[in-house]
Amino acid sequence: MAKEIRIAIAGNPNSGKTTIFNNLTGARQKVGNWPGVTVEKKEGMTSYNGHAIRVVDLPGTYSLTAYSLEEIIARNYIIETQPDVVVDVIDASNLERNLYLATQLIDLGVKLVFALNMVDIARSRGLVTDHAKLSVLMGIPFVSTVGTRNLGTRDLLETIVRVAEDRESVSRHIHIDYGLELEEEIEKLQGLIRTHTSFPDKHHSRWMGIKLLENDEEVTKQIEKGPGKREVFDQLEKSKAHIHNIMGEESEALVADRRYGFIRGALKETFQQTRRDRRYLSDQVDMVLTNRLLGFPIFIFFIWAMFQLTFTLGQYPTDWIDAGVGLLGQFVGEVMGAGLLRDLIINGVISGVGGVVVFLPNIFILFFCIALFEDTGYMARAAFIMDKVMHTLGLHGKSFIPMIMGFGCNVPAIMATRVLESRRDRILTILINPLISCSARLPVYVLIAGALFGARAGNVIFSIYLIGVALAILMGQIFKRTLFRGEIAPFVLELPPYRMPTLKGTIIHMWDRGSIFIKRMGTVILVGSILIWALSSFPMAPNHSSDPGVEKQYAAQREEFQENTLLGRLGKAIGPVLRPLGFDWRESVALLTGFVAKEIVVSTFGVLYHVGENSGEESESLRSAIRSAMTPLIGYGFMVFVLVYTPCLATVAAIRRETGSWGWTGFSVGYSLTLAWILAFIIYRGGLILGLG
Amino acid sequence: MERMLGKDHRDIYRQFKIIFEQEGLHRIDERLAILEAFLGTESHLTAVELAGILKEKGITFSEDFIRENLELFSRYGFAQEKQFEDQAPRYEHHHLGMHHDHLICVRCGTILEFKNTEIEALQSVVARQMGFHDLQHRMEIYGLCDKCLKKREPTIPLIMATPGERVRIAGFLGGRGVERRLTSMGLNLGAEVEVIKSSGPGPLIVASRETRVALGFGTAKQVLVSIMEKTG
Repeated sequence: MAKEIRIAIAGNPNSGKTTIFNNLTGARQKVGNWPGVTVEKKEGMTSYNGHAIRVVDLPGTYSLTAYSLEEIIARNYIIETQPDVVVDVIDASNLERNLYLATQLIDLGVKLVFALNMVDIARSRGLVTDHAKLSVLMGIPFVSTVGTRNLGTRDLLETIVRVAEDRESVSRHIHIDYGLELEEEIEKLQGLIRTHTSFPDKHHSRWMGIKLLENDEEVTKQIEKGPGKREVFDQLEKSKAHIHNIMGEESEALVADRRYGFIRGALKETFQQTRRDRRYLSDQVDMVLTNRLLGFPIFIFFIWAMFQLTFTLGQYPTDWIDAGVGLLGQFVGEVMGAGLLRDLIINGVISGVGGVVVFLPNIFILFFCIALFEDTGYMARAAFIMDKVMHTLGLHGKSFIPMIMGFGCNVPAIMATRVLESRRDRILTILINPLISCSARLPVYVLIAGALFGARAGNVIFSIYLIGVALAILMGQIFKRTLFRGEIAPFVLELPPYRMPTLKGTIIHMWDRGSIFIKRMGTVILVGSILIWALSSFPMAPNHSSDPGVEKQYAAQREEFQENTLLGRLGKAIGPVLRPLGFDWRESVALLTGFVAKEIVVSTFGVLYHVGENSGEESESLRSAIRSAMTPLIGYGFMVFVLVYTPCLATVAAIRRETGSWGWTGFSVGYSLTLAWILAFIIYRGGLILGLG
Repeated sequence: MERMLGKDHRDIYRQFKIIFEQEGLHRIDERLAILEAFLGTESHLTAVELAGILKEKGITFSEDFIRENLELFSRYGFAQEKQFEDQAPRYEHHHLGMHHDHLICVRCGTILEFKNTEIEALQSVVARQMGFHDLQHRMEIYGLCDKCLKKREPTIPLIMATPGERVRIAGFLGGRGVERRLTSMGLNLGAEVEVIKSSGPGPLIVASRETRVALGFGTAKQVLVSIMEKTG
């Protein structure tokens, strides 16, 4: 077998690069069309004619500057790992703009293949590209593809292999010609970089020279760190001054201008627009959906519909699963002999994990709705509509996308903040994002509100969500005025054309995110449940035996023993901190374990009240246990505490990863715990004063 | 001596004669000889160099005396002292007589000369009315020349454009951030865009070729455009 070929897929957001990636590798992966959906590096394998091909999907970017995280990720991957071929996916309807990224890939000196994607849409819009001629002109093969219908994939693979093996006849190395004046200065810089610094490569040093003229911060930093910086920077200053003198413009603007000049030159004889539609169907839809008067109410309606669907439609499968879990517990109780193992399975595993499994339908429906927003293109419009509102938080419309995703799960939401260019916006959005109540917190609300508020449970849960949104706004306002006084970064967002989502695509999208929860059931929550069970079972009650008569007596005294278990002692240890909020030791323990993941709060109650042992309606018995343990006032305070404090360890890890700072991570955990305590205190004490307790 | 000078220089010569007398200075003839030699050259001179020129004509003065007179000419606004690095000061006389007014284009730097006797006369009248003895004046009018004026299309911030208008991006205000982002999205300098939606102090939507882009109000304020065509 031939050597493995490593390829990377680059391209603009909304160019359909994710579908091309899926077509190449057959991998399941989310497909969205708000800009920057592919934030994670995704890898897949494929083979063609005996060649093993490793495919990496780079983040979708418009450019390869150093001004957004995704652009840095993409270009550093190409520079550092030197893939054999880079496939640039180009939207055939947006050639000029898409080729701007292509010119920067050419500067990087990598072997390229252009996938001219969505040629069907372009053709229907009367846009005709002579891609054979364009290939020869640019020295890079163009392959026509229609990603959504898997057309051109074989052709693309064939071309990739040919280019990788240097057998492609049109491939040749070209330079973007930046014009006499700039080229002179690029050459001078290139020479100095090659001889004085640790970057002797011919193509790479030219690229660095161009980037220096573009005031690229990353490249400037690299030169600064190494030898020869004095020589290079002296020349750079001279070059910039010289260019400004004779051209009357900054070198950075000129470089961009020349790139577009190159593109216009290449397209002059190879691209034709046979007819000119000014407005498409998509624009007509936008007239309504982004309408000044209608836009906002329609948006609110969609959000309302999303929650309605989640709770009403989700109720049916939830009931079935609930019944199933109850039957399972009953069944295990019957077939297994009494003993420690049965106790572990029923009280540890089934009541712990089972208590969470029942909420999977809600979680999946919520993710389905969010995937639908993204796949249709509505998410970008929501950002547009919410721009003005987000401005009051010192943020702009783009920050709203992570907010909506937060209703599903804060982890992908925090990762989605990468679409924000400015670090200030990113950190501010990350700090308030956990206040958006994720679906993992929903089980806690359903359990407690269901137990304590009866028919009013729905409204109570809705009020918790509203409190979350209100707190996010409030904290945004406070942070804007204290920690983040800077300017709001420019708001620029592409509005992709509306697309009819495919059921398959949206389900894959939903599954990619929702399956994380299933994985959590088998890992964090299972281990957590067993651990909690163990902590709550040891040390054992001294008179524990298999004699049925004694066991009955044991059950009666269980409360007393429980308080002596490790978990009970732990709860008592932190009790004094939480007692002012009206929480007893069980609730304290649940909040403690809930730090790992919010679903574990429910599992903990399940284990602590040994509900798995009772057959039949598991949740009902847990509810009655809750009813006897909490007043509605304490319950409401408890839910608010759960809403506000750190969602889960995975979120903490995501915050650490995305902010790159333990300081901000610690701040996020610290401020949310403090805020949670204060709010729960106000609710409980205030309620007592008002006589609600 | 007087006859050797041109008409314009003769005026200066006469004026200085009066000034010297009024100042009650001695050695007036000698000073006028220095003045004449100074007027006779077009280069930037140091006192030493001027002494050399006078010596060629057979007149010898001390450098100090020449320097004193050059400073005197400067004080009366007739000569200009120029100090170059590490050098003795150099003096240059103004072309008081060969006077023109100037129109200077701030865009391309073109200088147009004109002379209008009415303006000149009026200026003398104003000076005299204020009891002012005018030695010289300079008049420069800054603006745009007709060529630059033709090239210049009126630009407005993008937020001022109304829906349906086709505009061309003519510039960016503020930092580089906006320019970079928009350039990479195909909204580069010179690109044609159509305003799809623009209402109140909120974000707006523009179409650039096949792309639709939402721009925040603050961002759109920083984009300068020239209107190409109104379509309603």
